[in-house]
Amino acid sequence: MAVTEWWKNTSCGGRRSAFMVFFLVLLLHCIAILLFTSGFLLTRTELPHHSQCSDVSQSPCGLPDRSPQGDHDGVTCWTKPAVDRLVIIVLDALRFDFVAPSTFFEEKKPWMDKLQVLHKFASESESAARIFKAIADPPTTSLQRLKGLTTGGLPTFIDIGNSFGAPAIVEDNLIHQLVQNGKRVVMMGDDTWTQLFPHHFNKSYPYPSFNVKDLDTVDNGCISHLIPTLYDDDWDVLIAHFLGVDHAGHIFGVDSVQMIEKLQQYNEQLEKVVEVLQSQAGRGSLHENTLLLVMGDHGQTINGDHGGGSAEEVDTSIFAMSLRKPSITVPPEFDASSCKLDLDGREVCISSIEQLDFAATVSALLGIPFPYGSIGRVNPMLYALVAGTWNLEDYDMSSSQSQLKLEEWMHNYAKVLCINSWQVKKYIDVYTASSVIGFSVDDLKHVADMYAQAVNWSDSLHDVASCKDEACRTSFDALKKQIDLYSNFLASVAELARTKFTEFNLRMMGIGFGILLISIFIHVLVIKRVDDITVFPSRETSSVSFGLIVSCTIVTARACSFLSNSYILEEGKMTNFLLASIGMLGLRHSIMTKKMIFEATAFVFLISILRFTIELGLSKPQEVLDFHSWMYVADLMPIVPLIILACLLYKSIACSSCNRLLKFVITGSIFSYILLALHWTLESNLSSMTPLIFDGIKGNFIPRAIYIMGIAQLLSLAVLQFFEEVEISKWGEMAVMKAVAILSVWSSTLMILSGKQGPWIALASVVGGWLISRLKGLEQDNKNATTGLLALYSSPVTQWSLLASCLFFCSGHWCAFDGLRYAAAFVGFDEFTIIPQAILLTIETYGFSHILPTLGLPILVAYKYSSNEAKQTRQSLIQLFQVYLIYGLIMAVTTTFTVLCVIIQKRHLMVWGLFAPKFVFDVVGLILTDALICVSSVFYFIQT
Amino acid sequence: MKNKKKGHNIKDITRGDAVVQNLSPSKVLLSHLICGIGLASSFWLAINIYSINLIDNPASTLRLIWLIEVPVVVLLYSLFRKDMNQSSYLKAVARGLLGLPVGAVVHALGAIVLGAPVGTQYFLRTLNWSLLMSTFTFVPAASVYGSSWVDWHRIFAQTKPIGSIDYMICLPAHGAVIGGWFGAWPMPLDWERTWQEWPICVTYGAIIGYLVGMLASFCSAVFRVSSQHVKGD
Repeated sequence: MAVTEWWKNTSCGGRRSAFMVFFLVLLLHCIAILLFTSGFLLTRTELPHHSQCSDVSQSPCGLPDRSPQGDHDGVTCWTKPAVDRLVIIVLDALRFDFVAPSTFFEEKKPWMDKLQVLHKFASESESAARIFKAIADPPTTSLQRLKGLTTGGLPTFIDIGNSFGAPAIVEDNLIHQLVQNGKRVVMMGDDTWTQLFPHHFNKSYPYPSFNVKDLDTVDNGCISHLIPTLYDDDWDVLIAHFLGVDHAGHIFGVDSVQMIEKLQQYNEQLEKVVEVLQSQAGRGSLHENTLLLVMGDHGQTINGDHGGGSAEEVDTSIFAMSLRKPSITVPPEFDASSCKLDLDGREVCISSIEQLDFAATVSALLGIPFPYGSIGRVNPMLYALVAGTWNLEDYDMSSSQSQLKLEEWMHNYAKVLCINSWQVKKYIDVYTASSVIGFSVDDLKHVADMYAQAVNWSDSLHDVASCKDEACRTSFDALKKQIDLYSNFLASVAELARTKFTEFNLRMMGIGFGILLISIFIHVLVIKRVDDITVFPSRETSSVSFGLIVSCTIVTARACSFLSNSYILEEGKMTNFLLASIGMLGLRHSIMTKKMIFEATAFVFLISILRFTIELGLSKPQEVLDFHSWMYVADLMPIVPLIILACLLYKSIACSSCNRLLKFVITGSIFSYILLALHWTLESNLSSMTPLIFDGIKGNFIPRAIYIMGIAQLLSLAVLQFFEEVEISKWGEMAVMKAVAILSVWSSTLMILSGKQGPWIALASVVGGWLISRLKGLEQDNKNATTGLLALYSSPVTQWSLLASCLFFCSGHWCAFDGLRYAAAFVGFDEFTIIPQAILLTIETYGFSHILPTLGLPILVAYKYSSNEAKQTRQSLIQLFQVYLIYGLIMAVTTTFTVLCVIIQKRHLMVWGLFAPKFVFDVVGLILTDALICVSSVFYFIQT
Repeated sequence: MKNKKKGHNIKDITRGDAVVQNLSPSKVLLSHLICGIGLASSFWLAINIYSINLIDNPASTLRLIWLIEVPVVVLLYSLFRKDMNQSSYLKAVARGLLGLPVGAVVHALGAIVLGAPVGTQYFLRTLNWSLLMSTFTFVPAASVYGSSWVDWHRIFAQTKPIGSIDYMICLPAHGAVIGGWFGAWPMPLDWERTWQEWPICVTYGAIIGYLVGMLASFCSAVFRVSSQHVKGD
């Protein structure tokens, strides 16, 4: 009842009612987006449990065999250790075709066949070495991959967000298990490892990975420590992480001289490493039972990018080499490898492994407990390569004996898989019990059935395998069946986890989307209602105009274009295309009425300038020309628009008779501009000519002064708001002055953050805003007061919002995390502290496209406000209310379509690379706009 | 007030020339058919005689199309020139030819504002494309109306055609422009087809729009005749 009462009686221009409506919209959007995000950006619940050695007694697989050699400490943990020491060399962004011989590919490219040493050992029949194609799970960024490799689990989107300040891994992981079980770990190279595992390494030689342009620091550090460490005996596991290939890819691309040089350097180093290991591989020597793994954490595209899920980024490689000689050949059933001759006529075989399986396989080989959350399977080929070397001396190489050994190995492998399956099953059970969103009952039952089948089979097998004479050895097929059953179970769990951990909560997403739709419905309803009360019932009016139809078409077209990845990629050009279309229609309209042709032409001209700026902004910045005189000009050019802006501000205070405090605030902004010009002069090449007095204020002083001034100005505006009562008749002029004041306050901060392009873009937005306000008059005069507000304002507001998003792209942004200008966060600050930097980055990103346009909207309504009657003021307050409603609706509609797009494309290849960042940008933009509209409703509206 | 006066003037003029303005539907159909055949034959020539096509050689094909279409349009529409009494047929032809470069400049500028690529490798394509667009829009109008600003304004700014000749010019021209606008939409898609390049799909869109416009103009002529019959009865 109260709502309907309010609905009937409210005067829409009042401050309270306006604020109420906008706050309701903000609230609805927040709820909708929160719900949607919680369903979309799912995180896997991390369990705090850790695997213990003693857990294995609960497994149905029986206690592990005692080690046959007495020299071990007698008790093995989960599995029988197959290697004593492990050398892991991680080559960041190692593409699969860096490692595999070029004959595996259709065409030989210059970067192939550079790691010859790997081919050599993989092809030698007497060495136990093999190349694996390792398939990573996206997202393929180093941090996520290291996490995935060590925990044996699957990463999710939230991790990427966290990678800003790489947090330590709290989940159970391989490194933790190593330390827990008394293995000593040495690390060298990429310092991400020390961030992930701060207290785990016995010794570490970390090097900063931050500087992408530096190809050699990390690698040289690794190289200088790697070989000497190999001679030491105070470690069990050595990790060396090289970064050169990754950085070379980022800077120069894969097909470059630098990349090939890097690969050749690695080839040399790997040769040395193998040489050292082989020289000490004799019985009783240091590396008698050492395994060497050379692996990539992820691949990269030809351009050197990675992060997504394309085959080039996901496919990487593992080269494994045991220093013992192999004794068995794995039956072809388990061996899914393909063999080809390389260019030198050597036969190289390549198997395949999932990176998910890495943690489980390495744990099994070292005999430590598997990480608690691992869902990988012990890989048969990698396990056979090393574990097949047991008891080598006890057997002859006769065929019957080798058959016997094969069965022995299969028996072992079945047992390892039994423990593996038991551990995975346990994890799945505990995860379901403790996580909010677990697995569905059907899936769980299916998996449990498979597990029960495998275990039952193994019980029947135990009786057969327990007899030791020759007759019982016919269990080959039975063993094979056993291994298959376990493998199938593990494969289905991995598949289930892959869908579930990257699965979306459709119900939450649906509810969120529904609320978003409801909010749009309310929005439209309010707009309709406001439209109705302003139309005089006596006169026949058309509430639909050509402008309204065009605006609806343009907004819908723009919104629908977000359903396709191509249009999102080209969003800048798209927006400009639509803005140009609407601008040209405006030009046609002005020719039709023969009024304001100059303004309309200027607007089209401005759009074409913006168009070229967007194209320049999208390409990477070019080197500055080396002419001396030209450089001075380029340095001082931004000061020209700055002076123009300052003049405009001065003019605006000179010819108005408003509050003194407002004038004071605007004068403050002019002073900020002067500081800004001084700052840029000091930073430029001219600084050598400036007097020494200014040296004291170089660097961070001026930016900070501008920030402080901005805050002070905002505070004084807020104070003004509380103590000043505006006369109703003077509202129009007051609103314009207030808008100018608040825009000028934001602009100085924004310009120093945006750098030298800032004044130009600010000038463009001022000119654009002025032209739109002028062109609005075209429609207004033409239609008189007979059309509804909606029909009158839809076209200018659409232009306003399109211009705003064009400015977003003009200022060199795009909707991706690499489109953020991180440098802006450090203007005036040298060190990283999260809150001020995040605020600065937000202001820089959304300043020209969201903050200024939203706060500046009253200019559109109150421009050229002449009448001083109170009744007119009431009318224009309602107009302002309507304008904010339309603006908010346009933002909400586009965001809703982005959300819809994310729902539709959630299985798309680029969902994490393209749609999710776009979603985040749009959602933050929408909330920011809503909040700013709320603030504006308090700031501009008066109680009528 | 000014507006009203001008509107009044227009009406007067059109009333005066009412006889010249209206053509029988068969004549409209014939002239549109000639334009359409001109287009079709230029495509046929391009493919079968010169063995070029729009996708592989956009610039030269576009040039061929407008080279054939311009004489067809100019010669045809000059027959319908508005000030039949004052200016000769030859003068109308000359006006049409003069309108060609002017229209090309307008279309080229419009395309660039909307985001057509700029650069030396695109220069010939843009030039030939805008000449073709001008053939669809400016050339017939220039032939018929000459420098009569009032008529231009009525057709292109206000879209208020009166009489079948106005429709014959207005509808195909608007069709071509709107078709070209829609034709630009597939350009950003990542299908990696050669026809997505500037200005191939825009040309296709414009030609389709032009044909639809001609069809609409014919329909309007038929409709007008039938409604007049009803009135007469």
